[in-house]
Amino acid sequence: MAPRIQSRRVSNALLPYLTSSQASSTSSISSTCPSSQLFSRQFSATAAPQTKLRRQMFQWLSTEGAALKHHIPGETNYLSGRADRDGDSNEAPRPFPGNRTFISEAVLSEDLRNEVYVRVVEKKKSLRAVSVELGIDMKRIAAVVRLVEMERRQRAQGKPLALPYARAVHEMIPTTPLAQDGERQTFHEPINDLPAHPSTGAQIFYPVPESRSFTRVDAGRVFSGAPALEKAVADKISHPSDLVDDIIQNPNSIEWVGKGENARQVLQPADVRIPHPQLVKLELDRKAFPNERRAVTQRHAERVEKQEAAEQERRERAHARREKSIQHVEPEGSRFDYRIQDAKFTKETTGADGRAPWAPGRRYGVPAEDRKRGMVKIPTRVEA
Amino acid sequence: MRNRASTSLSKGKIRQSWSKYNLYNLQRFRTPATANRTFFQQKWSAKAASRAYHGEQVREGQWKRMFSKRIRSVIPMNTTDLAADDGSKESSGRGSGLSSESSSGRSRSRLIPYTQMAFAPLERRLDVAIFRSLFASSTRQARQFVIHGAVTVNGQKMRHPSYLLNPGDLFQVDPDRVMYATGAPKTAFERRETRQLKQKSDEGEAEGEEAEAKAEATEKDEKEDTRDSLRALMSQAKTIMSTDKDVLPAKRKQELRGFQKAVRRVLSRSDTSTVLTDSLEAQFSELTLLLKAKRAEKKPTKESKKEVKEEAAPAATTKSEEATSGALSDAFQAAAEGGDVDTSELTDEEFDILKRALTQMRDNPIDHSKPYATPWRPRDYMSAFAFIPRYLEVNQNICAAVYLRHPVARPGSAEVPTPFGESISTPAYGWYLKRRW
Repeated sequence: MAPRIQSRRVSNALLPYLTSSQASSTSSISSTCPSSQLFSRQFSATAAPQTKLRRQMFQWLSTEGAALKHHIPGETNYLSGRADRDGDSNEAPRPFPGNRTFISEAVLSEDLRNEVYVRVVEKKKSLRAVSVELGIDMKRIAAVVRLVEMERRQRAQGKPLALPYARAVHEMIPTTPLAQDGERQTFHEPINDLPAHPSTGAQIFYPVPESRSFTRVDAGRVFSGAPALEKAVADKISHPSDLVDDIIQNPNSIEWVGKGENARQVLQPADVRIPHPQLVKLELDRKAFPNERRAVTQRHAERVEKQEAAEQERRERAHARREKSIQHVEPEGSRFDYRIQDAKFTKETTGADGRAPWAPGRRYGVPAEDRKRGMVKIPTRVEA
Repeated sequence: MRNRASTSLSKGKIRQSWSKYNLYNLQRFRTPATANRTFFQQKWSAKAASRAYHGEQVREGQWKRMFSKRIRSVIPMNTTDLAADDGSKESSGRGSGLSSESSSGRSRSRLIPYTQMAFAPLERRLDVAIFRSLFASSTRQARQFVIHGAVTVNGQKMRHPSYLLNPGDLFQVDPDRVMYATGAPKTAFERRETRQLKQKSDEGEAEGEEAEAKAEATEKDEKEDTRDSLRALMSQAKTIMSTDKDVLPAKRKQELRGFQKAVRRVLSRSDTSTVLTDSLEAQFSELTLLLKAKRAEKKPTKESKKEVKEEAAPAATTKSEEATSGALSDAFQAAAEGGDVDTSELTDEEFDILKRALTQMRDNPIDHSKPYATPWRPRDYMSAFAFIPRYLEVNQNICAAVYLRHPVARPGSAEVPTPFGESISTPAYGWYLKRRW
């Protein structure tokens, strides 16, 4: 919206000496100095149509704010300073001048997105491998594959796309480009993020003799309140990443402590909990055998393969178990597939008295509360 | 829900919006003073300022129920560091490492800005996530898109703006709405064109027999449109060509190079699309076919010419550049008029540029039936607000995004986009704790 023109000032040509000479043009009205404005209004009793704040705003928009109106392709254009305007090009782009902790981080460029799709879908590489190669989080890779798949489908169907919009957005925000041939791919984001476990928030005073080596495994046991490992067991663990293989093969092998409500699994060391635990093993091998590069990579590949096989098997087993309890009914000529699952009447599914609100089906004496005031019916999840 | 969220200048509140009023408020916002104010007053004003930005469309009681004092954070682990030490080095001595080695940690020196994540639960909301993925120009608009049924979650229409996204949820907004929300508005002239187009189509509907004539007319219109856009593309070149002869040749050369670069930059991303209306598509394919055929004929002669040019290049670069861009403009002109195109004068590069110009024209056509200014261009001041947080993965082409995970804090940075520093977010976080500070 253009600044409002004071109609009296524009039309009244009889008083040229009271108004400034530029008053008749819309664009320059914001630049008139406030003193002349005041001066021109000294006999007026009507409220000012253009407030001081509005005037200041349009003044700012026409001077300092003018650079923010349009972007320069390939550069960010934030309030806290354009890279070229302020000369600090290597500093992270910050959209909010008042918040130093929020950084506008790079997004995947179109080429990189397509490359991810090609590697996963066409070259049949695993998410884990592509994640390590390109330095992209595994969840993001899965999402990219889903989105590119969808995009291709929509292109094939001839649905409308927002191509000029996409181009403009990629010009405005930082992007991670795909490396050219012979270049090293710049990593998009840290892939080995360790989520801070709530039980590590406590400050615990735990005395340990100085002669004893206190490792990450021991620290995890202390945080989860488990007794210290026996010496025979502890001696077998030369490095916390030795635990990785067993836990990947059988996640249920993690020890439990506490009873009833308080039962919890023993907190595992960071080497186990990071998304790519095999990379620690790789580093260890590299250090131990600096001259056997090929053998080290070979062993790493084997370990990753083993891990993927184990994960795949577990997924299949879970799927089979689920399928076993579901009966599929597909009536002839129908486009529906009915999945019928027997209700299980256990304490967990129906509550102690068999009438818990989350129990399946209609139950005698338990009123349906869905029409009551204040019952929230907004879905909590949508099946993909 | 009535929109009480005005961006008034007198209050100076910051909102989740791309309006220029908001930009001005953001620019002039100062942290409220703490001197001579009680702790309660400090918390109150911090809360008021941050709630005006974070979920002003959410009732206070609703937000209080959503608030969680537990804040998610991650530490990026370095595998080399993990391999080098099993933790015993860090716990050696009196429990915090031997003094000589304790200075090795880099990330330890950077604190995790926990309280900057105070409003993280609101980022799960569907309307906020749509705004964060740059699909709407304000959260209010995103909310309207959801209510009007333009948004799907995992392929199903979702009409609740307060739906809390789960990690892995895919949401998609109607691309036309996104283009409308993020594009520049129509000018008065364009609005008039739209009205005329609408009147024309209404008349066409009334009289069935005129349908054919109408189709012809629209075809003609489209042809004219393409001609217009091509002309606009070439106008810059022409202005360069027509400037005074007295200008220094070096200066002219610079200008020419600037133009060529500009054209290349404009066209750099447009060569991946295949979708548009039929007639334009046909037109485009015809043009490109024509160009290709011409090109195949003239190839040998052109190559010899190129050699000659290369020999002459160091002597008169300016001249040749002028000549080539002149050829480019001629070719554009020819393409625009729909007649035969003489591509013999074009270099490989220029041919490529021409082709991409045509593609660009097809992708971003002049179409008065759209609710935004065409050809589409981003709205003013959009770039000042354009960022996409890491917890979203967005595909702008189809206007779809995946909510990957909940936002987290990490050493030195927080993922929740907030315009306020810790001097505001910390008292605001304290305000919402059950046991208030």
